[in-house]
Amino acid sequence: MTNATETQTQTSTQLPAVATGVAQPLTDSSPSTSLNNDRSSREMSKAEQKADPSSSSPTAPKPQREMTKAERRELQEKQRAEKAALKGQPVTISIPSNQQPSATASAAGPSTENNASGSAAKTKQQKEMTKAERRELQERQRAAKAAAKTQPGPSGAAQSQTAAPRNVPPSPSPAVQQHPRSGAGGTHRKLEAARPDGLGGADARGLRIFSHFGTPKPPPTTKGDIHPAIVRLGLQFAEFKITGANARCIATLMAFKTVIQDYVTPPNNTLSRHLMTHLSPQISHLVAARPMSVTMGNAIRQLKLEISGSDIDLPEQDAKNALCQKIDNYVRERIIFADQVIQETAGSKIKDGDVILTYARSSVVEKVLLRAWEDGKQFSVIVADSRPMLEGKKLLRVLSKVGIPCTYLLLPAIGSVITEASMVIVGAHAIHANGAVFSRAGTALVAMMAKQHSVPVMVCCETYKFAESVQLDSFIKNELAPAGDIFDAFPRSRGQEKLQTTGGPNLALLNPLYDLTPASRITAVVTEVGVIPPSSISSIPLALGRTTI
Amino acid sequence: MNFEVAPTESVTRREFLAVILAGFGNELLPLTGDHGDEPCPKALLSVADKPMLDFPLSWLEQSGIEDVLLICPSSHKHAISHYVQSSSASFTSLNIDIQTYDESQEMSTGTCSILRHFSSRIQEDFVIMPCDFIPPPSLPLSTILNKFRTDAMSDGSIATTCWFENSKLDKGAFPEEWGPPPTPTTIVWDDTSGTLLYVDTLDDQDRNGQDFELRMSLLTRYPRARLSKKLQDSHVYVCKRSVLDVLQQKRHLDSLKEDFFPWLCKVQYQATKRGKYGHTLGVVSNSASHSMSMKHSTLYTDVPKARAFLDVRSHASSPAPQSEIGLSQPPSPTGSDDDESITVSLRIGLHVHRADSGYAVRTNNLQAYLEANRRFLSETSYVLPSDPTKRSLIDHKAAISADSAVGDFTRVEERASIKKSVIGKHCVIGKMAKIVGCVLLDHCVISDGARLEGCLLGGNTKVGTKSELKGCVTQAGYEVEEHANYRNEKLDVSDWNEGHQRSEDSEEEGEDDGDEEDDD
Repeated sequence: MTNATETQTQTSTQLPAVATGVAQPLTDSSPSTSLNNDRSSREMSKAEQKADPSSSSPTAPKPQREMTKAERRELQEKQRAEKAALKGQPVTISIPSNQQPSATASAAGPSTENNASGSAAKTKQQKEMTKAERRELQERQRAAKAAAKTQPGPSGAAQSQTAAPRNVPPSPSPAVQQHPRSGAGGTHRKLEAARPDGLGGADARGLRIFSHFGTPKPPPTTKGDIHPAIVRLGLQFAEFKITGANARCIATLMAFKTVIQDYVTPPNNTLSRHLMTHLSPQISHLVAARPMSVTMGNAIRQLKLEISGSDIDLPEQDAKNALCQKIDNYVRERIIFADQVIQETAGSKIKDGDVILTYARSSVVEKVLLRAWEDGKQFSVIVADSRPMLEGKKLLRVLSKVGIPCTYLLLPAIGSVITEASMVIVGAHAIHANGAVFSRAGTALVAMMAKQHSVPVMVCCETYKFAESVQLDSFIKNELAPAGDIFDAFPRSRGQEKLQTTGGPNLALLNPLYDLTPASRITAVVTEVGVIPPSSISSIPLALGRTTI
Repeated sequence: MNFEVAPTESVTRREFLAVILAGFGNELLPLTGDHGDEPCPKALLSVADKPMLDFPLSWLEQSGIEDVLLICPSSHKHAISHYVQSSSASFTSLNIDIQTYDESQEMSTGTCSILRHFSSRIQEDFVIMPCDFIPPPSLPLSTILNKFRTDAMSDGSIATTCWFENSKLDKGAFPEEWGPPPTPTTIVWDDTSGTLLYVDTLDDQDRNGQDFELRMSLLTRYPRARLSKKLQDSHVYVCKRSVLDVLQQKRHLDSLKEDFFPWLCKVQYQATKRGKYGHTLGVVSNSASHSMSMKHSTLYTDVPKARAFLDVRSHASSPAPQSEIGLSQPPSPTGSDDDESITVSLRIGLHVHRADSGYAVRTNNLQAYLEANRRFLSETSYVLPSDPTKRSLIDHKAAISADSAVGDFTRVEERASIKKSVIGKHCVIGKMAKIVGCVLLDHCVISDGARLEGCLLGGNTKVGTKSELKGCVTQAGYEVEEHANYRNEKLDVSDWNEGHQRSEDSEEEGEDDGDEEDDD
């Protein structure tokens, strides 16, 4: 665990103020990311095997070596990000596949060289260096050059040039970030000024490497033919009035029903061909308000299929009614009835005297617990929660109202109670094809703790939440919660503009909404088709005879 | 063969209808008094060289609302429709429907009855606006609309209004004869949720100006309610269509601002009112499909406190009036057992606009009108017109300060001095005339050597040579005779003699004035 804490402190040096509860799951998942990224995909299973002992036996020497590699990777990425930002381009942290062999090559090479000082690295013959090291050196020099270009002052240039090579992997903060006050501060200010999206200075400074995360935006201006129902729904999404994958999917489909009913096919066109062109601006309006959830994506894909398949000869009203009927069926079969099946299945796993631990709030988990209580099971619930959303409070209110004995605690206290729990039940935003569960930030931490203490982790998830993509960490795709006061309630009660200044220019808040729990930490996934291991998720559509999810 | 391309019709339903109420402007008398047979509509009085109506219209255009129902007195229809059509180039996206009602300046109809009368034309959610609200650029209408959209969907709020903080008026800046400044209204609101809770009305003030009653039920629900006297109603109300249905039931209410909305605030927390009107108000928001998604939302709980109040659900058995929105929504996919609706708050949202974030004003009285004009002067600086024909009208020896505005085709003679004033179009300013802090509407004629200070002159006012006016307001077409001297008076055309007698009673100067008037 020493390595994990090390990276954590290092990250917090770059991001001066990160709400601690939120930073943990991210750093928890990011080392495993880089582990997985370093290997080519055919070595994936091997990597997972290696990742496993790293969590269970923290003092083993192997993970340490890998950690430094991970840090190197991190540094590279950061420098690349730095460069891209200097050019004024959007920062994209994507790892090209052709770099992976080089990384593996470096893994074979001696890793002790990483600790060599900059001067040593310079004097070393180019041939002796591994490919990865050469690449790194190049990157560093390029970064230094770029930094020197933006700050013409001789002192600043000298500093960054001397500082850059000195900075070999152990300290991942690159030279430019190490001297925020002397020379590099100027570049930062320039960068902030150059940012086109007009974000606050705090965002520009601390969260630049997270800039690809979806952030809550001011309500998008309504342009074009946006239906009022969609405009209102977009606002609900942007203001976090409707949250949760199920709720958002249902709300979207219901709004689309209204849109379809109000739709009139223009002359010389057919519904099956034209309706989608009418719907797509509506969809993009919703996406502009808040990034689309996986559930919405799946539902919309299904809707598109239905639209394109609708009969041309059908009278328009009939076709519209048929589509609405299809939407209703989708909601009923994939969400409502699926939840009922999950309620029964998961409820049967709860025994009298059990202590169920759950994290945040999931509509499915809530239904499962309520149903089990109705069935006369005697159990108690530990609700773990964390800022900024504090969804657990709402769950607590619902559960305690029906009389379930509850304990409420925040994420840091989870270590003290995890031994009490007999089962962990959590919900999911999505499950990826590799079995990783994308869920509210903090779930990974809970699952890791449970795994450590051999407490079974059960994920309740409808099959329509399956994503066909593979996601390896919570860094590639994530979302940021609206910048609210960390001590304030959520949803924020004061205006956004008031809150952004509370931190001052030296404080940036980072609240990722989701994290990724690896399949290895999940005991079972409860779906409406049964209880399955997370690794066999991708076989479900096939087993059901569907081509799509 | 028909190659004509069919026009692509907008397939979306309009969301809001804007209702602009343009009244007579009795508070602005004598500026709004008739000029002969021609009326001077309040909506067309200019504020900083634009008619007042321009501000709400461009505000609407900015927000994306396209349909406007403009309601004005029938005598004003001609002038207003002429203005709307002539300036239609600037409002291309607006469909303005001008409707009239019959009333005289003396017997004005209440805003409630006007709205009741036109309720058949309003089929969707609507925005009521006055013609005299001048919004600051920092407050786009979409801010208020978005608050309404969010609140109406998430917890069933029925209306959203906007109140703004009064900017402080200097004591003594305006003559007392112009009438007392509008008495501030006390309101109680909840800042966290932005809810208007209580508006102190005039009726209550009659009983005891200092006291007013707050229900305990209000304070239980909103323990951190705030009270202020500083805020003024902008008369911008975004309402659900169902509000009109309730308005139809409450026949005896007269004014929207003073009767209806203060009453409507109380519905949310008074159990009997809620029971009586709750199902009329809350019917649309309560669509079962929305409640289903709300029930799955992780940040939503059906607040147990709200259950103490009469639930809308209890009225589910009574036949719900089928609204347009209700019809187009297909039934819920789930069975009736899952159909229970969520509690609606029936609250009135409130957007508070602070004075430090932009100057907002309602130019519905003389003080505010003059103040608004002065404000706009301080933002612009006057430059001589570049057009040579217009340029030639202004004598090069005339002194026009930078904080003034002079309309097109106005002639300014030799050594005239204009400071901090708005001069309308086609005016004539004579030699040696001195104008300080005034607003002159179009076609005014100021003869040589006249001195004006802090005056509001209606259109076509003629001021005789060497007369002195201070703090006066004139009706359109008024003629001030030569060598006259008026202070702090409202000068009407119709009752010259009455005005003369009044001034005789009140001031010594009245005698002089009277003599000169007799000469005329």
